[in-house]
Amino acid sequence: MAVTMDKAWLVQRLQEALHALEAGDEAGWRREIDALAAARTQPMMAGLSRLARELGQALGELPTLPSEAGELDDACARLDHVVEMTEQASHRTLDLADECSALAARLREGGLPAIEQEQALDRIRHNLTEIALTQSYQDLTGQIIRRVVGIVRRVHEGFGALGLPPETHGRNAQGLAGPAVKGVDHHAVSQLDADDLLSGLGL
Amino acid sequence: MRILIVDDFSTMRRIVKNLLGDLGFTNTAEAEDGHAALALLQSQPFDFVVTDWNMPVMTGIDLLKAIRADARLKTLPVLMVTAEAKREQIIEAAQAGVNGYIIKPFTAQTLQEKLGKIFERLAASA
Repeated sequence: MAVTMDKAWLVQRLQEALHALEAGDEAGWRREIDALAAARTQPMMAGLSRLARELGQALGELPTLPSEAGELDDACARLDHVVEMTEQASHRTLDLADECSALAARLREGGLPAIEQEQALDRIRHNLTEIALTQSYQDLTGQIIRRVVGIVRRVHEGFGALGLPPETHGRNAQGLAGPAVKGVDHHAVSQLDADDLLSGLGL
Repeated sequence: MRILIVDDFSTMRRIVKNLLGDLGFTNTAEAEDGHAALALLQSQPFDFVVTDWNMPVMTGIDLLKAIRADARLKTLPVLMVTAEAKREQIIEAAQAGVNGYIIKPFTAQTLQEKLGKIFERLAASA
């Protein structure tokens, strides 16, 4: 309207208002001035209502979190359990290895009666079997981790479906990289590279 | 030779302790982060520090910097044993004054080699 509010129309409104005023027609000149005022405010009102409409639409269309996001809690609990299980298995293995070392040391000292030698060897054999059995944690943690991978993938796809691509740049920018994973982390160097690097730095 | 082993994972502290024991270093103590390590170093005599990098409360690199900034500790040899394997990190550790850098996972042989190298260099400079 503001753009189309042509000059002739404006001139006419002003002339009519002037005539009415000169003629003492108060209602007449007020009507003309009101028409001018309305013409001035209408674009602003239209703009405001368009903004309000767009805002309403945007709010109505706000993405809701994918339902899979609720599974993240579950994934965290499972991973905590994996940390616990692997720690327990490691300690159990270390306990058994320590005992084997002590038994081996006693056997090396010699002088043990034959029966005690036999018992020590049996115990070492038993511990080695236990160590092997303890590694069965890998089956369980492997299954749990696979399940968590499934959850993470579904959440990732859920966000992807909303058009919310994860940020790919600046990953781990502020944190430490942690253990390098072959094929995923390309920044990592090997011990040999590290040795070269350090000897280049005088170490 | 008294060695302080610093790692937030108890299993790794045990493994390092066992490996050091096999190499004849049986006098060891443990700390679970840089902050606890620094408190021990400032209250008891140690000859060597083996530290992880990524630990809560205080990281290994901050521990190294704190050791080098402490008048009484600054010459203490520090061996970093860590999963952190970026070039920039190795350079950062070297610039902070690390004496050796081992990337996890590591072997008993690597540990022995690095310890040997550090002692050799210390003996040569003494």
